[in-house]
Amino acid sequence: MNRLKTLIVVMTAAVLATSLPAFAGKAPKVITVGTLYSSSGPFATSSTSQFNGLKFWVSQVNKDGGVFVKAFNKKIPVKLTAYDDQSQTATAGMLYNQLITRDHVNMLVSDFGSVLTSVAVPIAKVHKVLLFDPTGTAAKFFTPDNQFVVLCSLPTSGKWPYALADFVIEKKIPRVAIVYSSNDFNQSQAVTLHDRLVKAGINPVYYEAVPTGTSNYSVLLHSIAATKPDAVIEFGFVPNDIAFLQGLQSSGLKFKMVFTIFSGQQLALIKKNVGDKALAYTYTYPTPPILKYNDVNYGPTLDKFEQAYKATGGKVDFLVVAGYNTGLIMQKALESAGSFDQTALRKAVADFSGKLKTMDGAFDVDASGAQVGEMLPVGQFVPQGANGVGMNIVYPQSLKTGDAIYPAP
Amino acid sequence: MLKKIFPSLGVVLVVVAMFLGLPSIYSNQSFLFNLMLYLALAEGLNIIYGFTGYLPFGYVGFFGAGAYGSAIAVTLLHISPLWGVLWGGVAAVLIGIILIPLLRLSGAYFAIANLAASQALYYVVSNPALEKITQGPYGIDLSSVYNANAAYYALLGVLVFAMVLVAFIRNSDFGLCLLAIKEDRVTASLAGVNIVRARSIAWMLSAFVAGLCGAVFGWYSAVFYPSTVFSLDVSVFTIVFVLFGGIGTLAGPLAGALILYSMYNFIGISTPQYFQLFYGLLIIALVLFLPDGIASILRKGKVYVP
Repeated sequence: MNRLKTLIVVMTAAVLATSLPAFAGKAPKVITVGTLYSSSGPFATSSTSQFNGLKFWVSQVNKDGGVFVKAFNKKIPVKLTAYDDQSQTATAGMLYNQLITRDHVNMLVSDFGSVLTSVAVPIAKVHKVLLFDPTGTAAKFFTPDNQFVVLCSLPTSGKWPYALADFVIEKKIPRVAIVYSSNDFNQSQAVTLHDRLVKAGINPVYYEAVPTGTSNYSVLLHSIAATKPDAVIEFGFVPNDIAFLQGLQSSGLKFKMVFTIFSGQQLALIKKNVGDKALAYTYTYPTPPILKYNDVNYGPTLDKFEQAYKATGGKVDFLVVAGYNTGLIMQKALESAGSFDQTALRKAVADFSGKLKTMDGAFDVDASGAQVGEMLPVGQFVPQGANGVGMNIVYPQSLKTGDAIYPAP
Repeated sequence: MLKKIFPSLGVVLVVVAMFLGLPSIYSNQSFLFNLMLYLALAEGLNIIYGFTGYLPFGYVGFFGAGAYGSAIAVTLLHISPLWGVLWGGVAAVLIGIILIPLLRLSGAYFAIANLAASQALYYVVSNPALEKITQGPYGIDLSSVYNANAAYYALLGVLVFAMVLVAFIRNSDFGLCLLAIKEDRVTASLAGVNIVRARSIAWMLSAFVAGLCGAVFGWYSAVFYPSTVFSLDVSVFTIVFVLFGGIGTLAGPLAGALILYSMYNFIGISTPQYFQLFYGLLIIALVLFLPDGIASILRKGKVYVP
């Protein structure tokens, strides 16, 4: 009889153990999210926007009683631990270590861009902490032997111009000039575009790199014009795009198609510096909030997000969305992971990858953590009378909101 | 002689014990690594600035040359990263040899010319045309040989080397020659000091230390860009640390780097919004009230500073 009782107890315990979510240890009072931001230096503007988006996510989940953690089957408040790396990689490396080894944060988020993420990748790997990377898009971070990094809010930079290349090929634009700033981010895009065009039988008539610090494109623009291109594609950072568009306007040169990267991400800043007229009929990669995805199945829609964020007095730009979106990815990982450890979080990310659609687009990462789901369409600024310029998504067909005006008037 | 060597030996042993013991009680290895890095760089700069009076604002050029020299050796020649560190030092010495003519300048002219040279080197390294060798501006990836612990102890070795070198120079005839050059080149020359040879040796030793530091930094960082290892911040921090501690001594630059870098991180972590203000005020106070560094306080009290 006693044996039977023991057997029943053991079996009941076994059934309960498998039906309840597994968890590692006692539930923490707060989930600590560690990150860095730059209040000064070359990355300050972008980093601050991204950080504001992440902070807003923290405030929103805490307003709702915290984030649901499946491993403990309850909501737990989130605490943000953030340090200022002043745009310096050595300081950033030290501070990422501080977050992992001294503060013992539960979730780690890297600072803006590839340069400040570069130091986080090996540190996270060594400490076996999953790094949620919002915007560090360099392909070299994502290798099969590193399971501790996930790119959340942008595809790897080499994938950015896929739609752009297809658009140029479809339009049968024969003479293409590509000028790019010599850095990892821009070069990878230039190479992808160049290779895809060549494969389609379009040999760029101009393909040159310029130093990232280039602030005057006047002479360069005339050199490009001498090759008689139909389309001029400029890959640079925000200051490059501003200088390029300013130079184009002051030179009086006209091309049938002009493309820059950041007018679709930092529109307010670029508009302020170059004006609506210089942007009219130019092309870019539109990103939220310019680009709206309607099939959101996780988190707020862009409209709701904008409404809530603007109520705090903030202005939405792409990097605010990117920071918030990273919070959403972490939230989903915590909601899905069966146990509260970094490997389980990574496995959870792999499991929901390909199924999640946020206001930033489809979230789909490959085995190395590189983002392959999100894609950057092609948009064109069109004059809207007194309202300045508006945006038409011109490629791909699935997102199209208007036809491309080609050649530009 | 022994009376002078023992305090120097004591300083070296204390520093070694500190960095061997600290990882077991303080887990942020990156902080300890960066601290060691600046201690070693401060001693390296001390060799040329502290003993000869030449202030190289472009000292980071050697640091960057070391990082790239080592990375190229590891990625192209497939040598071990530990040997790569040595290659980094050699690469910096080669750059030092090319820049020896700059030593004909003095004062602000030397500082500015040296700064320009480091920037020129930065642009050469980050030139896309050299992508096959330096990876141009696209960054070096050493993640396949990344080993934070090995790099930590390699840097400790570099620091010991730098300290022993400074201790040796401080207590040798060669050091006296350098100090004579610093005081008055013409008089030193008349006294039989081979100025060109002595200052060139000091210059290359200083470059060698910075190159070793850059090489280990690259190894520890795994992925780095030209803007990271040629950042002028490295020069500025090192110069400030050396000035704060006191030039021409072994302990001065160590104390300067130890105090200021710890403070930099403490303020940077606790109250980053006041960091620039606090650091700026500190440097102004240093220039006004302690132009010879904190070592001068001890010297005034007739205390021997190793």
